[in-house]
Amino acid sequence: MTEIEARKELASRTARLDALFAALADPTRRAIIERLSRSEARVTDVAEPFRMSLNAVSKHIRVLEASGVVERHRKGRDHILSINTRSLDEVDGWIERMRHYWEQRLDAMERLLLELKKDQKSGPKDRKRGSR
Amino acid sequence: MMGPTVRIRRRVKATAEQVFDLWTKPELMVRWMSPFPGTVVCEASCDPRPGGTFSLFMSSAESSREVTGTYVQVDRPRKLVFTWIGPLTNHVKTLVTVELDPRGDETDVVLTHERLPTSAIVDGHTRGWGNILDHLADAAAQDS
Repeated sequence: MTEIEARKELASRTARLDALFAALADPTRRAIIERLSRSEARVTDVAEPFRMSLNAVSKHIRVLEASGVVERHRKGRDHILSINTRSLDEVDGWIERMRHYWEQRLDAMERLLLELKKDQKSGPKDRKRGSR
Repeated sequence: MMGPTVRIRRRVKATAEQVFDLWTKPELMVRWMSPFPGTVVCEASCDPRPGGTFSLFMSSAESSREVTGTYVQVDRPRKLVFTWIGPLTNHVKTLVTVELDPRGDETDVVLTHERLPTSAIVDGHTRGWGNILDHLADAAAQDS
């Protein structure tokens, strides 16, 4: 892969993640995903529990489709929605990388705190030694 | 809520002040923030006040990386909020919140790391984001 291709791929992955995180930033959209994670469902069934118009829910569904989290296919006259779990894996991957990074950093922070504490203890003790 | 976030809680044997200083004093930051094992050259500079910036440059024999950001909230010793941009975030701006909760002679550290959905920033619908948005806008202007 050339450097330009690599950069393009990184840019598109970044754009994809941006769209995914924006899609997941809304509580209604998260509730829709939760519903669909149990089973695929018709648009009307997905909209039913929400206290908003079908039109408003449809807007949220379109955002989810645009981000790639939700897919739509037709079964006869019905529009069926389902989750694209691969897109959510990407979000999980990002979160896992960050968690791993910070867990390690906090480990290092704790090691440093221990070191600093030792320094503090040995400091005054050394000075006292002469007077004992 | 801003969507999926990373949240880590850890209790450490130190006062909140000690922990806060580890996050904001360059000479202490360089001693734990580098992810490289072994010998590392690490330089840090920071200006811990809202709108102030920090940078952390780390290099080992094999590679190097730079992390930069802008402080959003600096409330010693309880809370520190800053943007965080680096290779790990694909150079996308993210937000780190460090909350310190004293528990006797120990401290609970709660770290939250989140991506900033651009739409949320533009809409500004999150509470209390007026000033923060200004700082972020400044930071974004510097980045580009």
